[in-house]
Amino acid sequence: MKIYFQKKSFFTQDNFDKFSKVNKTAGSIISFVGKVRPISNNKKIVDIEIEIYKKMAILQINKIISMLLNKYKVLDYLIIHRFGKVKPQENILLIIVASEHRKEGFRFIEDLVDWLKIKITFWKKENYINDYAWVEQKEKDRKILVKN
Amino acid sequence: MKILYFAKLKQHIGKSSDSIKISGEKRIYEVINELKKKDIKYMRAFEAVKNLQYAVNCEYVEVEGIVKDKDELAIFPPVTGG
Repeated sequence: MKIYFQKKSFFTQDNFDKFSKVNKTAGSIISFVGKVRPISNNKKIVDIEIEIYKKMAILQINKIISMLLNKYKVLDYLIIHRFGKVKPQENILLIIVASEHRKEGFRFIEDLVDWLKIKITFWKKENYINDYAWVEQKEKDRKILVKN
Repeated sequence: MKILYFAKLKQHIGKSSDSIKISGEKRIYEVINELKKKDIKYMRAFEAVKNLQYAVNCEYVEVEGIVKDKDELAIFPPVTGG
């Protein structure tokens, strides 16, 4: 059960293999990788800058995870979220979850990403060739508040 | 009290934090009103960035929330992680 907020890149396969090896009793291991899109607002992305309020991000993600662990029977998880400069096609987010059955794992990941988008203190700025734009929180991302 | 600014708001204000002295308890909107009086840059920043969110000691609160001198107040636009 580990969470990392880090600048450096990560290898998905290495993390998946290590995680899978440790979780011997799991019947399901599911991973999700969030990546930087090459195009946004019809503009080519040069890179994105992710700002973090780390102390609050750690506190908030722990609160969300303890709520999700009460909801779903999950055996183990690994979360890596990058900050700093990230280039198109690079990984931003990795979530790996081990559970006895697949449904719990899928739901855990889906809910966690939904909460990440509205509660965890990260902000993205997209840099294009000639200008930039701060990413705005989308109305559809706030649906998790209605669901819960 | 320490005040932290993030993302677009930080960019508009031109710095990431402030330290101010407050006596007793204040509502967050009262603190913001004082900041706006301090400098035109603050006034413009708080007008330019909409739907701000607030946290006191890393917990989300509303703009009516209360802060004391020992608190850490964070002000920021809606988050966009994930």
